[in-house]
Amino acid sequence: MATRGGRSRSESKADQEFVSESEEILERMREDYANLDDQRASGAEVDPDLVNRLFRSAHSFKALAGMFGLESIQDLAHHLEDILDGLRLGRLPLDSPCVALIDEAIHTFANLLESIGDAEAVAAFNAPVQELSRRIRAAATQTTAGGDELASLNIDAALLRALTEYEEHRLRENIRRGRHIMLVSSTFEIMSFDEGLSVLSDSIRAMGEVLSTLPAPGDTPESQIRFSLLVASDLSDAEMRERLEFPDAEVISVRIGAAPAATAAPVEAAAPEPAPLADAAAASPSELESLRSISETVRVDIRKLDELMNLVGELVIQRAAIGELAVRLVAQSKTAQIGADLSKIHKSLDRKLKGIQAAVLEVRMVPMRQVFEKISRVVRALKRDLHKDVRLEVSGAHTELDKLIVEELVDPLMHIVRNAIDHAIEPPEERHAAGKPSQGCIQIDAFQRGNHVVISVADDGRGIDRAALLARAQALGLVTASADLSDREVLNLIFSPGLSTQTRVSETSGRGVGMDVVRENVMALGGAVDVESIPGQGTTISMTLPITLAIIQSLIVGVGSQRFAIPINAVHETLLIDSREIQRSENREILNLRGEALLLRHLAREFALGDAAAGDKQFAVIVGLGEQRIGLLVDRLEGQQDTVIKPIQGPIKNVRGIAGATELGDRDAVLVVDIASLVEDALSRREGA
Amino acid sequence: MSERAASPEPGRAWDSLARSAANAREAVDYAEDIQQLLTFELAGAPYAIRVEHVREIVRMRPVTPVPRLPEDVRGVISLRGEMIELIDLRCRLGLGRIEPTRRTRIIVVQAGDNDVAGVLVDAVREVLRVADDAMRPAAGSETGAVEELCAHGDEFISLLELERVLDCHA
Repeated sequence: MATRGGRSRSESKADQEFVSESEEILERMREDYANLDDQRASGAEVDPDLVNRLFRSAHSFKALAGMFGLESIQDLAHHLEDILDGLRLGRLPLDSPCVALIDEAIHTFANLLESIGDAEAVAAFNAPVQELSRRIRAAATQTTAGGDELASLNIDAALLRALTEYEEHRLRENIRRGRHIMLVSSTFEIMSFDEGLSVLSDSIRAMGEVLSTLPAPGDTPESQIRFSLLVASDLSDAEMRERLEFPDAEVISVRIGAAPAATAAPVEAAAPEPAPLADAAAASPSELESLRSISETVRVDIRKLDELMNLVGELVIQRAAIGELAVRLVAQSKTAQIGADLSKIHKSLDRKLKGIQAAVLEVRMVPMRQVFEKISRVVRALKRDLHKDVRLEVSGAHTELDKLIVEELVDPLMHIVRNAIDHAIEPPEERHAAGKPSQGCIQIDAFQRGNHVVISVADDGRGIDRAALLARAQALGLVTASADLSDREVLNLIFSPGLSTQTRVSETSGRGVGMDVVRENVMALGGAVDVESIPGQGTTISMTLPITLAIIQSLIVGVGSQRFAIPINAVHETLLIDSREIQRSENREILNLRGEALLLRHLAREFALGDAAAGDKQFAVIVGLGEQRIGLLVDRLEGQQDTVIKPIQGPIKNVRGIAGATELGDRDAVLVVDIASLVEDALSRREGA
Repeated sequence: MSERAASPEPGRAWDSLARSAANAREAVDYAEDIQQLLTFELAGAPYAIRVEHVREIVRMRPVTPVPRLPEDVRGVISLRGEMIELIDLRCRLGLGRIEPTRRTRIIVVQAGDNDVAGVLVDAVREVLRVADDAMRPAAGSETGAVEELCAHGDEFISLLELERVLDCHA
């Protein structure tokens, strides 16, 4: 696995566990907070469930920090929990400055997590954390007084007293909004009441909010039970009665609502208000509930999956041995019957093994959504910091990629998006002058193409300034002034180390490390990066990546006495060519491939295997990632096989041109060719140099 | 075994003897001035590495040459699915390359946590337990790989320092 530089700290297993679990919680908190902030800023009604979820997250975080003995985190989480509790119970107003404190606390948590494992760095946080805790505490103690609008309700006081604090808050909130409040009651068979009750609740939720569900006293037969649901809705009790497809239900008005005008925001009445999902039971802050919510998934070390994969691979080899045994038994008349039976077992084993293989692979796959969520957060922050009006559009969030690839992809993708916002999208005045909408747009698409996933980032900004780029490259000595470069070659200069066209260095992007690192990272994953740009209209950067690192199909080729595996995702086509078809240009060999000149390389010469006595006929394997391709000449094609690429262990870790080795059925190690580096070398190298 | 178990007296005597022998061995193992060396041959001369670096010893098996590497790297072998670089120790120590024989072995060594490699030797001899006072300073080492000499009977066994062996180039 590639290790990222810059972070060297000792992490115990417990620390790692804490960090990974915390990150998950923080992730959720950031997302919920961002939504909350958006809703608040747009003047829309804040989904009460958001606050509830934040509260539960803070609570889980507190418990987790306590478990790992991290007192300062525990303390901060505790105070945060107080604020959120105040918010959800209506004790604190949502526009209170303490909402900003939530954001600050989340940031502090994130910074702290970065330092876990480094006791000194963690200790350095003590003072700021205490200060923040103090401010939160101060903010949380200011409360709002609640008037007693509840007294005027047409409802049994005993019922009101049964409401939890949260339910009461929701009731007040709905009264404040001028909604109709009603009590919907129905009788259910005791055997199946939970089913009936949930059908009733669901149908009410489509029209309003269920504030509380309470068993209703009354003279019901023993086999039945009666429930009352306290409901808030924009519909009147009569309308509710009419629409509710529940003949037995009784609807009593508790309070007649006012037209929704009292509040400041004349909310677009038609706007699809987020359905308040807050089910009374789910929202109750019981310990059990909140702890359970973290552990819906099992976190597995990807290395364990690799081990599993290897074991499956070995099983596959043994299965083949059983198959051979069966054939031998069948061939002898004495054992033919046993052989036939064994053969059946072998076939069923085969099917099941394939199932396991597919299942393990699937476990490694995660949707791009995870990455997209992180990016949308960064975009939100950048918009604020850079004062640019940008809209992020994503598609293909469900596209799945190997977990390892997704992890390694976050940074490059983030970098590209930052670049786009910082450099590509023009300031509003400039956009206006160019006749573009003042809001810029960044569009990220992820889609599958064969056994690749393509992820493209397109902006509608100013496009890449070729002249400036070329000038920079010349100033840095990356190209000579006389070099005659094609448009593609000029564009590809953005991937050169140390090159950034904007002379201004900003916090966000451009500090010399840039697109070259992006390309390196993507290539390390066996992928490629391409860039397209139309001046004045925008730039699209696409990354093409293999779907999984685990098992890949490879084309097995023969050169002399040796065999090599070429990942099939890098192979475009194979041709049988006559040596008379090969043309020369200087010392380079080229092939006319449907009118295009294709550079040819002999694999034997690349790897100094000595020229085999090549006959007239050779195979050209057209390989390449992204747009650049070459033809690799080999002696034989030996078919396709599933291969698991493994690193070569030993003092010499990296051999350019070799991606690793794989074991074929016959226990031979076969080297896997690293097409990306071969293509790069071939296209950049001057012959004879 | 079953006969001994049937007659209690000799059985018990045998047990206690075995036990004391085992105790003695453990005692020696824990003594700090004793080390265990795996000895092997290269070009007729005895060499050794410390046993704690040895993961396993396997027979010669198919080697896949890896291009673009120095001559003393034979290539890569597949060991139960692991791909391991194979170093020709004769070559690395400047003793000249020979074709494998029936006695040729691969010692799979592990230097650090992840530093695994295969080392090709002419033949494996035995595991020696030697006291620290048998060690002599190396009489100079061309490749820097010989750490010390171990006096064993009449002969001197060259003790190789594994990290150096893995890194150095003849």
